[in-house]
Amino acid sequence: MDVVQYIENFLQSFAAGILTGVIYGLMCVGLTVIFGVMRVINFAQGEFMMLGMYFTYFMFSWLGGYPFFDGLYFPFVLALLAGPVLFGVGNLVHRGLLQKVTGQNASRLEGGGHYAQLVLTFGLALVLQNGGLWLFGSTLVSVPSELSYSAWEMGPLYQDRIIIFINQNQSIAALLALAVVLVFARYMARSRLGKSLRAAADNPEAAVYMGIDVSRAHRIAFGFGVGITAIGGGLLASNAPFQPYIGTDYVIIMYAGVVMGGLGSIRGAFLGGLSIGILQQVSASFLPNQLQNTMIFTCFLLTILLRPQGLFGLRERVA
Amino acid sequence: MLKLTNLYACYGAVDVLKDVSIEVNEGEFVAIVGPNGAGKTTLFKAISGLVTPSRGNVYFAEHNLLKVSPHQRAHLGIAHVPEGRQVFPSLTILENLALGASTASGQRDWNDNLEKIFSWFPVLKIRQHQRAGSLSGGEQQMLAIGRGIAASPRLLLLDEPSMGLSPLIADEISERLVEIHRSSKLSVLLVEQRVAEALHYANRGYVLETGRVVLSGSQASLQQDDRIRQVYLGM
Ligand SMILES: Nc1ncnc2c1ncn2[C@@H]1O[C@H](COP(=O)(O)OP(=O)(O)O)[C@@H](O)[C@H]1O
Ligand SMILES: [Mg+2]
Repeated sequence: MDVVQYIENFLQSFAAGILTGVIYGLMCVGLTVIFGVMRVINFAQGEFMMLGMYFTYFMFSWLGGYPFFDGLYFPFVLALLAGPVLFGVGNLVHRGLLQKVTGQNASRLEGGGHYAQLVLTFGLALVLQNGGLWLFGSTLVSVPSELSYSAWEMGPLYQDRIIIFINQNQSIAALLALAVVLVFARYMARSRLGKSLRAAADNPEAAVYMGIDVSRAHRIAFGFGVGITAIGGGLLASNAPFQPYIGTDYVIIMYAGVVMGGLGSIRGAFLGGLSIGILQQVSASFLPNQLQNTMIFTCFLLTILLRPQGLFGLRERVA
Repeated sequence: MLKLTNLYACYGAVDVLKDVSIEVNEGEFVAIVGPNGAGKTTLFKAISGLVTPSRGNVYFAEHNLLKVSPHQRAHLGIAHVPEGRQVFPSLTILENLALGASTASGQRDWNDNLEKIFSWFPVLKIRQHQRAGSLSGGEQQMLAIGRGIAASPRLLLLDEPSMGLSPLIADEISERLVEIHRSSKLSVLLVEQRVAEALHYANRGYVLETGRVVLSGSQASLQQDDRIRQVYLGM
């Protein structure tokens, strides 16, 4: 392979990495909100992403054939809609399950409730996977999208020898993901509710003294976190085929991103997810396939060793 | 307005409060003094609901507080300025104050309160857009007090506002507290280890030792009590 082609490969995979990475970043933001506010490690985060994917898939299968819903952009609308729907689901899951082992109730449990939380979210992940298998079947599905087959061309560059293709479907998905992150970050920074969530994250005891219902703050944070990650899932639903176990692959990516970015900050989580996307795509075009994830975890471990506060570990926290 | 009757509280099997009865009337400045570990902070937490008493009652105005969930108590008009300040470090000073003003009355009086808080503690105005975590201990204490005032409370609970501060700054904060009490219709319940100062400012006081009220009375009677003079005032 000559050098120019090498560079072309690199730029091509870098561009693809940015597009995937922005969506990973979005999903990482969802995870970090939950961790930042509730201090709960949610193992079921990948399954909520999976639910976002299936929501988009089934709604599209159901409505996509009808006029008005058959537009090219309808899957994106559904992906965004997965947010509020999964927000509601997250709310119920918090009310019915997590509330019993977090917040005020956690202090009564062994290990500050952390064991119970781990077991609970891990169990929830298994239930959702198997429930998904039972309900949705094991067949690989995806949301059909004409846009997946169209690309914008960048170039030709460098004496007409380099052309980079930017997948249209992925680009729109990435732009939407970026928009969701920006709107959410601004909402957390500016709104009264955002401030009270950050206060509950900073010091739950003092938050109670301010009249903040910390349990409600947790419920909302969990809903936000789950909903945001589900939007990421919805946006990926036309990217590649999936099945009910897909969450396991992604929860690892999400955790790696969140930890790499610096636990608890929205910006860190986003940048962490973005880095992972870029690493993954770039290493995919230069390394044998089976080493792709190895690359991610090598970088992950290096980050932990050299910069335990995360690459973008800032003093600011979430949430 | 605040009335604790025969209150007991424990952590596990250890009784920390034993048969404590304390009262604060409208507009009063009441001090609770006592050595480390006497249960003063626990008493405040029982009022705010972070500790559930095992026996006894807590009344605030016409409310039985034990039937009110902890976060709702702030909305009834109790502002708790906790031990160790506990400001929200990653939020700015203004955001901290705005969170204090989460109550309906705090919302209503926001502009007035902010002006007052800034006049009492000008440093908060200068630094209003900085993160609270970047403040010095004394400034954080001022913020914690300001955050309490921002709620427009009827009762201000202050848990050792002088803790860990230099005497000079502690004096400054005490003077502000007296000023705040004078200029608003607040009732104040103050926990202090600086007994001489606390008894100087308060209308009445209680002495809490190992979870029991061992002495109570007016400012004058406590200042003249022989035991207090020996143990707490070193005279
Ligand atoms: N969370 C807790 N768990 C167990 N024991 C506690 C806890 N908090 C305080 N204590 C104990 O309760 C007693 C009273 O503590 P505290 O109310 O903080 O006293 P004070 O504020 O007067 O110094 C002390 O003996 C302390 O060790
Ligand atoms: Mg104390």
